[in-house]
Amino acid sequence: MDAGLLGQYVVNGAMLGMMYALVALGFTLFFGVLDVIQFAHGDVVTAGAFAGLATALALSAAGVRSDAALLVAVALAAILSMAALGVALARALVLPLRSAPPLNVLLVTLMAGTVLRECIRLFFPNGSQPHRFPALLPSGAFVLGGLTLRHDNLLMLGAGVLLVVGMHLLIRRTRLGLAIRAVAQDEETARTMGIDFERIVLVTFAIGSGLAAVAGTMHGLYYNEVNFGSGLLLGVIGFSAAIIGGLGNIYGAILGGFVFAALQTLGAAALPFASAYKDVFAFAVVIVLMTIRPTGLIGERVSERV
Amino acid sequence: MPIPRPCLPILVLALAAAPAAAKDTVKIAFVGPLTGGNSAIGLGGRNSADLAVRLRNADPKARHQYELVVLDDECKPDAGVQVATRAAADRSVAAGVTHYCSVVAMATTGVYHRFGLPTVVWGAVLPDITYGHDFKEIHRVNGTMINQNETAAKFMLGQGYKTWVVVHDTTDYGKGHDKYFTQFATAGGAKILADFGVGADQQDFTAELTQAKSLKPDVVYFGGLTPIGVRIRQQMDKLGLDAEFQGTSGIVNDDFIRALGPLAEGVVAFREGADATKLPGGKFFLEKYAAQGYPQGPEAYGPFAYVAAELLMDTIEKVGPDRKKIIAELANVRNRDSIVGTITFDEHGQNVVPVITKYVVQDGKWVLWEDSEYASGKRKLKGRR
Amino acid sequence: MTPAAAPAANASSRPPAAAAIALAAAVAALAFTFLHAESQAAVGWIAASSVAAVLAAARLGALRWASRGALARERTTSVALAAGLAALVLAFHDDHFTLLLLARVLLVATACLGLHVQFGMAGVVNFAGAAFFGIGSYTAAVLAGRTSVPHVAVLAAAGALAALVGSVLLLPLLRTRGHYAALITIAFGIGFRTFLEVNDALGGPQGLNVAGFSLLGFSFNENWTVRGVEVSFYVAYVALAFLLLGGAFAVVRRLETSWIGLALDAVRLDETAAASFGVRVPRWKIGAFTLGNFVTGVAGALSAMMTGYIAPNAFTFQESLVFVSIVLLGGIGNAWGLLLATFLVVVVPEKLQAIQEYRFLLFASLVVLVLVFRPSGLVPRALRRRFGEAP
Repeated sequence: MDAGLLGQYVVNGAMLGMMYALVALGFTLFFGVLDVIQFAHGDVVTAGAFAGLATALALSAAGVRSDAALLVAVALAAILSMAALGVALARALVLPLRSAPPLNVLLVTLMAGTVLRECIRLFFPNGSQPHRFPALLPSGAFVLGGLTLRHDNLLMLGAGVLLVVGMHLLIRRTRLGLAIRAVAQDEETARTMGIDFERIVLVTFAIGSGLAAVAGTMHGLYYNEVNFGSGLLLGVIGFSAAIIGGLGNIYGAILGGFVFAALQTLGAAALPFASAYKDVFAFAVVIVLMTIRPTGLIGERVSERV
Repeated sequence: MPIPRPCLPILVLALAAAPAAAKDTVKIAFVGPLTGGNSAIGLGGRNSADLAVRLRNADPKARHQYELVVLDDECKPDAGVQVATRAAADRSVAAGVTHYCSVVAMATTGVYHRFGLPTVVWGAVLPDITYGHDFKEIHRVNGTMINQNETAAKFMLGQGYKTWVVVHDTTDYGKGHDKYFTQFATAGGAKILADFGVGADQQDFTAELTQAKSLKPDVVYFGGLTPIGVRIRQQMDKLGLDAEFQGTSGIVNDDFIRALGPLAEGVVAFREGADATKLPGGKFFLEKYAAQGYPQGPEAYGPFAYVAAELLMDTIEKVGPDRKKIIAELANVRNRDSIVGTITFDEHGQNVVPVITKYVVQDGKWVLWEDSEYASGKRKLKGRR
Repeated sequence: MTPAAAPAANASSRPPAAAAIALAAAVAALAFTFLHAESQAAVGWIAASSVAAVLAAARLGALRWASRGALARERTTSVALAAGLAALVLAFHDDHFTLLLLARVLLVATACLGLHVQFGMAGVVNFAGAAFFGIGSYTAAVLAGRTSVPHVAVLAAAGALAALVGSVLLLPLLRTRGHYAALITIAFGIGFRTFLEVNDALGGPQGLNVAGFSLLGFSFNENWTVRGVEVSFYVAYVALAFLLLGGAFAVVRRLETSWIGLALDAVRLDETAAASFGVRVPRWKIGAFTLGNFVTGVAGALSAMMTGYIAPNAFTFQESLVFVSIVLLGGIGNAWGLLLATFLVVVVPEKLQAIQEYRFLLFASLVVLVLVFRPSGLVPRALRRRFGEAP
């Protein structure tokens, strides 16, 4: 395999990994503060993309022509609306079910995700078909032999890296991050230290869902296409990535996202005439990985073996 | 509209008093995927069948009043058998316009046979649905994927293309198309450089397409439906894979073009049956469809659902709502004109489709190949000089 | 017709057997009216009035009285419920569709009982229920179609194969906990479906025909006539499915009330504590997971033979989620609640056919509402009161 081709796989895999990582970050944040799985998260990603699309269509119809202005508006609309949606889901469904068996939160959010998906399909104009997402980023490319480096991909990768670094700083360097970590570590103690538990939970859901909106917008810009049904699979992949990395650990989620993307790319590229088996391959490797590292690659530190 | 029971006798009296309205109501079932990934096509088919029934009910000359019983098969065999039993075991249902998904159509043939319900398949393309058994109940107005791919392979070879990369989804639809196209194309001397099976809900195809690009094919053949067709065409462009894009009946709809914009230009695809716009009844269908204001378009198979419903209602008008008589009468369908071309059922109830229509996207529209500037030589398909 | 009919005032003076019978009769009557309802308005009215009746009964204490009595006299309840089902079958004896729906409820309930053993009792989550159901289905398709193995043995073989394939996951499952273990089953479920679809040896995406069930030369796929009355062939399937469910249910309840149930409780609630008290955690987890898969596989085999056709897209991850939803909605760990939840999850979407493409939207919204008002499921697990008594 020549270097250009290899490079192309790496770039594609990196784009994919970045999107997975952003979705996985949400899963891991929610798990961190509440020990729950919010399974509507994949559909929040899709809803974010559709919110962005609706904004773009409305503004274009209103005569806005500048791509930069559209991009800012699309991103802002998606992030704000999804942050609000995340808070609403947390307030209406996740927090009230705290005393129930933890899996019930999974069920209620799963159903909420179905409601979200069906709403897009039924109430977005022609929602059951794929929609074109406008290309708002510069479209040029550097061509180096067999390798095509598109400007828009590089910009998105850059934005993703910035976001990840921002998350790191937020969690490690700010008072808010300290509060989130405190709640994640021990709710009771955090409460006695004067931390407003509910507020921190809601803020965390806003942040996680905002990240999902970014992932959704990125998804739209990268593929130039959005459709109502992509949420479930994206949710499963994001969940898998968060778990592979180690739940509750933001670095684990990022690592997990890239590992999963690498597995998929490898499965499709290295099994040349059996590419249809790539999902079987990726999930089989996941099972093996989990057997070797039962609490994820960057595992939670637990010692309870007696 | 459900009517409270105590009111029924009064209503019946009222109806009997008005002689013009005193028609008996005949039920026809429509079964298709109304939820899930294939719902766009299912809803298009539902609307089209609904249109046929509405138009017939508005016709004062019709002997019966018709009611469409709509059922969702979810594109799953167990759900399909469930609703098929519901329709077929209900003696007040005279006939059915059934199934878009091949798996479901396969699973339900036995049910219709057992209960003797005459059905006309409106969209499923697997050959075995009509040829896999001798059940007299099952008919199909659309052609099979065999016909479609034979024409497709001949046509594309005739354009001078030599090498292909095949991408197909791993459902019965995609795999069937893959099988028959590969068969006809290699028999005609084509070279299939690679064959990728992909998931029907897969989002990212860059790994497959990067590999395809390194093989430098003349054509990318895609066997599957609009959603992933759009993604693959989009991602081919992103990766700089500059080959002709050839699709199947599953992408012949306006949403494919709307979702792709200028990238759709020059895409070719094939569909069984004549083009609705070319036949006198077709224009009428499209106008009436638009006039009803359905939220979804008719999609590629809407006209077939319309024709299937029409065919059944014509038959019922002639022989009455008796299942056995309908089956006997359907066996005599020969050279019947419809908006998808003439219909002739062979001994398996399969419409022997005389035409496969060739389409190419030109200026944001699916245009008949023969009418296009590509055929006249004004424009060129990818890689043709 | 509803438990409200039972006077609440003299609840304590009545013998519990009456409570069990009253509850079973109420359930059967409700099931009858619901299954019978055809039109959209009727379904809506019945749903609304039954919810109101249940709420009223709960308010008056009748529900508590009946369910307590029913649980105290579990054998009477079972017999009464079986009689209720028999009455339903009699009432719908020639209604193929309703009987098919009933048989499906029974089979799905059996499959979910398998999951109930796994995560209701032992705490081993399984998000690949549909995959094990599918293994059973495919085993039945191959064995019944290509060999002359008697069909009763086919059912057993299907369960055994599901359990055997499941044993591949044992090592990963023993090493992981909670959500990590969930991911393993998710991965298995998705991989299994893709494998079936890609691999043509088992029919590929197009699926396979499955022969109908037959027993000692009696084919389950033929209608029969009793004294000139035509009886639907589905009656036989309902009967067999009921036998499977009854058998599985009896085993599960017996386990729950025995020391095994106690050991499983310990494993589920605190592995570390259980281990330190000498409970062999791996052994119980392996046992529960294997037994659960066996039961699910058997249900899958009969379901395939009844439907007559199987294809990979009937065994997707979404289907697994439906199974999990049933177990959770019933009130995780409560076998009785599971039966109720199965009935609702299988029958309600079917009764919503009239609203066509909107039915899943409405269904999902309903489930969300149920969970908001009853966060622990419809009938939450009660605490084990003392050893030897039903929890």
